[in-house]
Amino acid sequence: MMEVLRRFQSFAALLGIVVLAILVSPSASDGSRIFLQAGNLTDILRQISLIGIISLAMTFVILTGGIDLSVGSILALSTTLVAMGLTRAWQSAAYGSHILWAIVAAVAACTLAGALNGVVIASLRIQPFVVTLASMIGVRGLAKWLSKNENIDIGFGHDVAARFASIFREKALVIGSYACAAAVFWVLLGRTVFGRHVRAIGDNEKAAVYAGLPIVRTRVWVYALSGLLSGFAGVLYAAENHQGNPNAGMAYELDAIAAVVIGGTRLSGGKGSISGTIVGTLIMGVLTNLLRLNNVDSNVEMMIKAVIIVLAVAVQHAGSGNS
Amino acid sequence: MANFLQAEVVSKHFGGVAALRGARFTLRPGEVHALIGENGAGKSTLAKILAGAVRPDHAAITLNDRPVTIATPLDAQRLGIGIIYQELDLFPHLTVGENMAIANLRLAEGHLVRPRRLAAFCRPYLDQVGLTCSLRQMAGSLPIGQLQLLAIARALSMDARILIMDEPTSSLSDDAVDRLFSLIRELRTRGVSTVYVSHKMDELFRICDRATVLRDGETVQTVEIATTSPAEIVRLMVGRDLQISERPEHRESGEVLLRVERLSTAKLKSVSFELRRGEVLGVAGLVGAGRSELGAALFGLDPIRGGTIHRDGRPILPRSPHQAMRHGIGLTPEDRRGEGLMMSMSVLENGTMTVLRRMQSWGFLRHVREREALASIAGRLRLNCPSVAAEVATLSGGNQQKVLLARWLLLDPEVLFLDDPTRGIDVGAKQDIYRIIDSLAAGGKGVILVSSELPELLRCSDRILVLRDGSVTAVLDGREATQEKIMAAATHSPASGDAA
Repeated sequence: MMEVLRRFQSFAALLGIVVLAILVSPSASDGSRIFLQAGNLTDILRQISLIGIISLAMTFVILTGGIDLSVGSILALSTTLVAMGLTRAWQSAAYGSHILWAIVAAVAACTLAGALNGVVIASLRIQPFVVTLASMIGVRGLAKWLSKNENIDIGFGHDVAARFASIFREKALVIGSYACAAAVFWVLLGRTVFGRHVRAIGDNEKAAVYAGLPIVRTRVWVYALSGLLSGFAGVLYAAENHQGNPNAGMAYELDAIAAVVIGGTRLSGGKGSISGTIVGTLIMGVLTNLLRLNNVDSNVEMMIKAVIIVLAVAVQHAGSGNS
Repeated sequence: MANFLQAEVVSKHFGGVAALRGARFTLRPGEVHALIGENGAGKSTLAKILAGAVRPDHAAITLNDRPVTIATPLDAQRLGIGIIYQELDLFPHLTVGENMAIANLRLAEGHLVRPRRLAAFCRPYLDQVGLTCSLRQMAGSLPIGQLQLLAIARALSMDARILIMDEPTSSLSDDAVDRLFSLIRELRTRGVSTVYVSHKMDELFRICDRATVLRDGETVQTVEIATTSPAEIVRLMVGRDLQISERPEHRESGEVLLRVERLSTAKLKSVSFELRRGEVLGVAGLVGAGRSELGAALFGLDPIRGGTIHRDGRPILPRSPHQAMRHGIGLTPEDRRGEGLMMSMSVLENGTMTVLRRMQSWGFLRHVREREALASIAGRLRLNCPSVAAEVATLSGGNQQKVLLARWLLLDPEVLFLDDPTRGIDVGAKQDIYRIIDSLAAGGKGVILVSSELPELLRCSDRILVLRDGSVTAVLDGREATQEKIMAAATHSPASGDAA
């Protein structure tokens, strides 16, 4: 019952913001509301896709009672690796396999970085905040060192890198990736043993020990998945911006955490949902769009977002009646 | 003599469970007054209400005939009521001096406390309790007995005229207990009243003037210790005809399921016993005797330092609960909320936690299969919940325990270690759990039952293992054992235990 109420609440918040966006939307020359134009709506989806993808795995991390601050840096590492792979490696490979190899290598490296987070957290029992703070710094350093502090450009010509960019910046592909990832993670959380273990560990780790659950393995997987999705988001980022950028993804971890929290996932773990996180991501996306369509100053935009985050969590607290 | 503190019709519910329903309590100046009762009788809750740590649903409290409201610990401090918790509420990473000063209304708020002034303030109270340590020592580095003295000194420094002590001796050595008792007597001569919460009968008769007996959240009677006997108090505590159904007919036990020889861990000293098929082995002992640690060793939670465990004749060395489960050993922990259940997950999710692998097909969980599995034993447990999708946090203690049991009944291990499974649950649910224990034994399983309630052990066990300080002091036949024999073995050396 509470669960239904809480979910209804975040949906209601989303609905409210959408209605507000329609009402205050500026009109196009033909009198229609710009907010409702198909192009604008799909732009919103495309803009939220990267944070959306990252926040899916972040939901899992937070459900175990952890946090992953390294997602932005891992995204930067991925953009760098994929750009390097496309422009500097496998020169003799065919177009298709070259692109595939560059992506696989970048995503694999990022998954490994995430798994390393998980291994340190689970086996050395250091707080996730500290471990991922360290790797946020360290992985950023790695990305900058690999790229020698420079952006690695993916051109607009007819070479393999440009082909990659033109495919992976396609709106349908970006939004489709987000939709697929969301579906997979929704099933993973709700319908698999792994997902159940994730929530059980976050709810009560001691009880998870007494129930004989594989705590270390689950933790490592959760952070590995976070690395994997951040890495994949990095591939999309590199295509969209036509470059590998070691400074990409700054503060993405905070946006992702905000989306998860607005979606009703408890920061102490155990309670939360993928659908909530998706709604949280949409709320942030529609809000940004609403403010930008109305030419609100971007600094004011940040202040408004701050209020929305606190408000969303406060309302959930009041609704659930417990901490 | 006039009543000093008086509390009438004190009621408190936690969730749907009544901890206190209309309890009464009066305290005279300069007396040591025991609050006694079984686990779950409400004595700790009443103590915490008097100290402002728990807010009652209803209470009429008067102090020196003036009605008072004790809503917070600071209110209690203003009224001169101090509490010494069982799990001492000191700050281990602050110094002794800082612990004395923090939240102390007698030290002006908002000012920096100068070391010399702090010393001048603290020293008399530390001397009074006989604590000689430096003010700059970290509280966490003190042994437990001295920590307790520090907590008492702190309460005294807050001008406490009423000291509430919640099970103060549970982790003290014998000479520390002696020192504590002489301190309590000395405080009594100065007019400080002590409310002594305990379930240890011998301490009651050593130190207390009067005792108020609580049962099921109600005050049964207040008695003068000088004119009563331990037997009388036990009768008042237990009161109702123990609704304990007759123990089942003698069961035929089969081959040895578990053989433990000279098992030693950090807490256990050379423990040996056997558990046979179809047998319920009771484990008795005072708190801290090593009962739970025995389970921790068998279940792979505590490292084993010596000795052997044989399961079905084969040696095993469980290093994790997962390994223990693979050897067919299950355990329900004593602290069901802290170590047993995932409180914000559903009844269904908690119940199937140990058997999830069986609930999937093609890698996906089948909720239908989970429901069927739980339904198959919910009836056997008489599990009563609005829906299997309800959060376990919303259930009563008895039903929570049944959910925890369901988890293990589904896994169906050969050996099940039940650590105080009826702690704080209602009488009806207790009966249901006894029936489950009987049926497990009848089904050829081996059950190890830890309990603080002796009648329960006598009702359920075929044999009773008594522990004291990590060692086995007696193994009694279930039909010949008596509460007196068990208590003798749990509290004295084996030799004098036989004499008693």
